[in-house]
Amino acid sequence: MSRGFWRQGVMRAVAMAWLLLTAGAALAHKSSDSYLAVQVQADQVNVQWDIALRDIQFAIGLDANGDDQINWGELQQKERELQAWAGSRLSLQRGGSCTLGQASLQVDEHTDGGYAVLAWRGRCPRDAGPLSLQYSLLFDLDAQHRGLLKLDLDGATHSAVLGPQSGVMQFAEATTAGAQFLQYLWQGVWHIWIGFDHILFLLALLLPAVLLRRRWGRGGGGVHGVSRFKDASLSVLAVVTAFTLAHSITLSLAALQIISLPSRLVESAIAASVVFAAANNLVPMVQGRWLMAFFFGLIHGFGFASVLTELGLPTGALAVSLVGFNLGVELGQLAIVVVFLPLAFVLRHTPFYQRGVLLGGSWAALLVALAWFVERAFNLSIFWWT
Amino acid sequence: MPEISLWLKALLTRWLTGLAFCCVASVGWPAPRTPSDAGEVLERLPVKAGDPDASRLKQYQQAVNRAPKDAQAVTALARLYFDLAMAHGDPRYVGYADALISAYPGQLSAELLFTRGLLRQYRHGFEEAKGDLRAALAAQPDFSEAHGWLAAIALVQADYAGAGQSCVALGAAGSKTLQAGCLGLTLAYTGQLAQGYQALEKGLARASDPGNRLWLLTRLAEVAAWQGRAALAESHYKSALRLGLTDAYLLAAWSDFLLDQQRPKEVVALLAGNEASDPLLLRLALAHQQTGSPKAPALVKMLDERFAATRLRGDTTHRAEEARYALQLRRDIGAALALAQANYEVQREPRDARILLEAALAAGQRAPAEKVEAWFKASGFQGAPLSQLLPLLAALPKASP
Repeated sequence: MSRGFWRQGVMRAVAMAWLLLTAGAALAHKSSDSYLAVQVQADQVNVQWDIALRDIQFAIGLDANGDDQINWGELQQKERELQAWAGSRLSLQRGGSCTLGQASLQVDEHTDGGYAVLAWRGRCPRDAGPLSLQYSLLFDLDAQHRGLLKLDLDGATHSAVLGPQSGVMQFAEATTAGAQFLQYLWQGVWHIWIGFDHILFLLALLLPAVLLRRRWGRGGGGVHGVSRFKDASLSVLAVVTAFTLAHSITLSLAALQIISLPSRLVESAIAASVVFAAANNLVPMVQGRWLMAFFFGLIHGFGFASVLTELGLPTGALAVSLVGFNLGVELGQLAIVVVFLPLAFVLRHTPFYQRGVLLGGSWAALLVALAWFVERAFNLSIFWWT
Repeated sequence: MPEISLWLKALLTRWLTGLAFCCVASVGWPAPRTPSDAGEVLERLPVKAGDPDASRLKQYQQAVNRAPKDAQAVTALARLYFDLAMAHGDPRYVGYADALISAYPGQLSAELLFTRGLLRQYRHGFEEAKGDLRAALAAQPDFSEAHGWLAAIALVQADYAGAGQSCVALGAAGSKTLQAGCLGLTLAYTGQLAQGYQALEKGLARASDPGNRLWLLTRLAEVAAWQGRAALAESHYKSALRLGLTDAYLLAAWSDFLLDQQRPKEVVALLAGNEASDPLLLRLALAHQQTGSPKAPALVKMLDERFAATRLRGDTTHRAEEARYALQLRRDIGAALALAQANYEVQREPRDARILLEAALAAGQRAPAEKVEAWFKASGFQGAPLSQLLPLLAALPKASP
């Protein structure tokens, strides 16, 4: 083109410049993106790739009849060429190149128009190890094109924006089952330690374990300490085992989505369980505390499950994570018992324990839990820090 | 136990097949489908065959294919792409131009450097863009377009000394109309509204090209509004609209004026059918909100999707608009403040100052708008309604709680 072409357009162009500089980028409809979902489980690969029809038109041409429209028939006619073109611009390796078979072709819409959706199933040479990916769709034609990648590698999700300078990526394999197990084990420990309602429930049930109640009616129903450590331990063991069994059952059922309860109901019921356990220390209603531990433990299990749901259960290591978390809860609980039992046993004969800790503590627990219950059941805020 | 393992197995397969789609769906990827009718139209192409642009595009593309090393041919196609991006508001063409210049084998000519500068400023790469424009001017000192763009970038960056230099250079390069516009804006941005207005008027008296007239009228209207002369601003906007050119900046500025004047119904009428452009969609949604129309939530949802899509690709060029959307439509003050602050690091025109000031006021925090206060002090800017908002900010305690 001659310089004349330029001079003619100078004034208008510069005027446009002023207008557009301040608004130009914002006027954008949308730059070109493709949406690439890759799922790799061991040596199995699934790929779903959404590519804008406008981009395909620009790269290989789709509008066969020149009517400025792209219809389904025109897209189907170009299916082979599209597959070859797109397939040559994506490669995956896990222990060598993964092979993708024949793609299926569908369509979809995104905010900026129609898209072709290519889906492949394939296989990689190895079922473990890092995954590398090379992406080069359209970069030769559109430097602003980006590939928006969602990768699920053995249950761990990654996302990335693939550009001309970042079209080659490597993803480390998901953490090993052992590391996964330890991670969830620790989460279980942590969540019982910060779960005050669970601790309070457990303590309310354990407080009387070092005491024996005098026969009812005579002497005002007072208490005295057990004589042997073994008696206290057995009582604690019964409560803890029943609680553990019960919440393991419901935790698993809920985590596996076999049963699900509304969280407001669960949380309110947990608060109620603390109220009941504490009240039982003040006015004995149920004799076998292990029964209470079992019954209410069922409800506490749903509470643990909601924590697990928030953490997200990795699909690839579901069982490992679930068992790890559950064992973590038991370990955390055991740590509390290990601290509680010797202390309580030493203090069991003192009025400080018999009145202050048992009665005072139970009253305190009851009041706190009652407030929790009201908060949770009626969706109110009582504690300023919650 | 066998039951548990069965559950696990069933769940695993269900989750594995479902996961990609559920995760993907959460960022707005709906499920694909298979059309039943071969004739079903899936996409309409933006440049129509009868369009003069279409034949030029074809001709220029062929020229480049024949001679990929020909700087003239490559420049012509790259500039056409850029012009199409502007005309259609479609950034894909910017990407095409970018790839074309990146692939150019030899040393870049002044015109190719200039064109690359345009592409870079489009993505708000202002420093790189200035580098390209200066390199183009080093090779060709009377390149008035390059001076014009340098001045425009300087104004966006609130570098008024730099803008002034480019205005002088524009005059020396022989572009008196553009120089008047350049000087007028620099004066107005530095608080001399009356002198700025006069300079723009002078430019308008000289301008015959409708594009230049539209630009000068739009900016005259803005300066008049800053002066508080609403009737005068309105008459300038209307003169600009009567030129009959499609111009999204004019539509946006006129809409903002009407929204400020509490005349949302006129905006609804003006912008109906302009939903494709994000900034115009934003103004349309604001207008519907002001009228209390039931259509507002659907438009806000459209904007949600647009901004989500640009965020996904890491695009930050829309932050000023997004801040306004967050503040006025979503009422998410925290997000609006963060966006307006981030935008102000890059763009510092009065409109950028305004959204940051409004977000800081909504948050009741003075500190985040410190830079706007500093800009007021340094520039001496006087325009309404910004200058009325500033004392409200100054009334807030300096340290944020």
